[in-house]
Amino acid sequence: MAYSELIKSFEKIRDYMRDFYVYGFKSREDYTKKSARSYDDERRRIESWLGGYMAFRHTSEGKNVFISVDNRSVTFNPLHNAWKAKSFTDKDIVLHFCILDYLADGNARSVNEITDGVADYLSHTETPFEIDESTVRKKLKEYAELGVLQDEKHGRLLYYRLAEDRVDLPSWEDAAAFFSEEAPFGVIGSYLLDRQEEAPEHFSYKHHYLLHTLDTQILFDTLCAMKEKRCIDIVNFSVRKDAEHEHRVYPLRFYISTQTGREYLLAYHYKFRKPMFFRLDTIRSITAGPVETRHEKYEGFASKFDENLWGVSTGGDYNVDHVELTLYVADGEGYIIDRLEREKRHGRIEAIDEHTYKFVADVYDAGEMLTWVRSFIGRVICFESDNKFAVNRFYDDVRRMRDMYRGGEEV
Amino acid sequence: MIFSEVYGSYFKAVSAILDKAVEGTLTERELTRTVLENAFGESLITIPAKLTDGSWPLLTEDFRTPLRHAPHAPLTTLEKQWLKALLLDPRVRLFAPSDEGLEDVEPLFTPDQFVYFDRYADGDDFTDPRYIEHFRMILRAMHEKRKLRVRFHGHRGTRQSYICIPYKLEYSSKDDKFRLITGFRNKPLTVNLSRIDSVHILDPWEENEYSLPREREKELVMDLYDSRNALERAMLHFSDLEKETERIDDRRYRITLHYRQGDETEILIRILSFGPVLKVIEPETMVTQIRERLERQAALLRQE
Repeated sequence: MAYSELIKSFEKIRDYMRDFYVYGFKSREDYTKKSARSYDDERRRIESWLGGYMAFRHTSEGKNVFISVDNRSVTFNPLHNAWKAKSFTDKDIVLHFCILDYLADGNARSVNEITDGVADYLSHTETPFEIDESTVRKKLKEYAELGVLQDEKHGRLLYYRLAEDRVDLPSWEDAAAFFSEEAPFGVIGSYLLDRQEEAPEHFSYKHHYLLHTLDTQILFDTLCAMKEKRCIDIVNFSVRKDAEHEHRVYPLRFYISTQTGREYLLAYHYKFRKPMFFRLDTIRSITAGPVETRHEKYEGFASKFDENLWGVSTGGDYNVDHVELTLYVADGEGYIIDRLEREKRHGRIEAIDEHTYKFVADVYDAGEMLTWVRSFIGRVICFESDNKFAVNRFYDDVRRMRDMYRGGEEV
Repeated sequence: MIFSEVYGSYFKAVSAILDKAVEGTLTERELTRTVLENAFGESLITIPAKLTDGSWPLLTEDFRTPLRHAPHAPLTTLEKQWLKALLLDPRVRLFAPSDEGLEDVEPLFTPDQFVYFDRYADGDDFTDPRYIEHFRMILRAMHEKRKLRVRFHGHRGTRQSYICIPYKLEYSSKDDKFRLITGFRNKPLTVNLSRIDSVHILDPWEENEYSLPREREKELVMDLYDSRNALERAMLHFSDLEKETERIDDRRYRITLHYRQGDETEILIRILSFGPVLKVIEPETMVTQIRERLERQAALLRQE
């Protein structure tokens, strides 16, 4: 098939965009799972969609292609563009404009009338452009499902008119610009901004993660099932095992990290009989299953479960680890106590004396707290937990880091 | 359906082209310009050809169109549902959009379905009427290209007052805070919105005055050893910054990060949180700071 910059399936492009954006050091030869032709086509497409955000570097391993973005200076997520590259047929685009124009006066018309109307629009051309009633009927039905058209029965005949649209879009302009970057399904905000002459560029973002837009379809499919209280079948790719696995789960909530951009689904796993997390970016597909009659029971789990979650790790046994982190706070370092207060998520802070503060919590996995505990290096008087693995790892890490910065080889 | 051609750049470009054709202002040059403005890099190969070779018979030979109206598509249900969902977000009060036309749709999602588990707890109060008023005045000044008099209290409680051009409203999802990005006497100035005491809109600024003083950019080089899935974790964690990554060998990578000088302490903390899988190579000032923290840490542990 001839190359086109448009694509039929979004799933195919997810991995490439992710790799180009996240890693940036891979060369053509690293993409061994796909054919070289496929790599060349996908790279060319992404380059076309993202223009100036694509960068190249020549290394001894070959040419590296990557997406280079200073997220703090972008007003709109450039990766949203991938969602605007859906392929279509000649009939799709011709029918789109002709049908909407024919119905622009707001009157309802039958499928037969609309088909004739469309044919009239196309009568100027010498090249025959064949439009039949069944194609028009199919398109009308599709647009009614999208909400662009409204259908109504006149006797035995189905009539269509433009859907009522009283939304004051200009009043949403700034909100759409902001939430297109900061709300779930931001790409829909980007679609709305495309309807405007010019999108307002008054906002910028710090700690801004862009990659999640690639997982929007997974989020959407899951949410649709959640609305109907359905269980879902997940096909999940395990990076560790380099294999796909299927899971039947009941979806509960989405957990979003504002510090890494990772997004997770919390779901009750039927086979393992416990709540589990799945990263959205490793889910390949979602299929809705039957309605769950015991949904209230599982939703109750989610709230209870959250009480001891530090992040998204449940530890090995779902038992809680008791954690105590004692910090030294020097004169004029009140900002450390502020840090504890705003970053602690759970637990409590105790003032031991003027310079000593203790954070106490019970969490599912003390090991998951280590990234946070290490950020206090230089101030840790003591880190204690009944999770000895986590405690040992912390002290070992400190020792190894000290060696490393004293000139030793790392790890 | 999220992935649909009706939201696509091709439909957007053709809509803009037909808009001009209905007006009678479309020319070949205008067609090219419209495609470049609305679609992708390579769309110029496809769209004009399709519109003129009869594949998409929506234009006549004289760049007119058989269509009678400027193209318009009502909002889809999905678009309305998304807007309806935003009405449940406390931050929407900052904007005061109209809820008209959304009465009959269900929100696409609700806030309780999403948990931002590592967001800081001391975020801005988006329900505070004064905060909302300040936010809206800043936004209005941006729209009207006018200067502001901003009075605020600094970290140590000092009262400050500046006449400035508002360049951006910067939001951090991690901090859950807005900051006003501005400048004063060629120096960048960032003001937390929650620290603002008053905002007054002043005269319009002149074009030659509009030049955002850039905060000094710094570069940091560090080596990563890929153990404990460090490569993937670091690549994602630092993906909010402009970076370059080079493979040194099977397990080692060299990462160059670009960051703003004002964020140095935050960057240091983020690197420390990775433990011994990341080692800063330069700048030397950062290496020294890390070394000092590690020595201080060792001293604390010896006292234990």
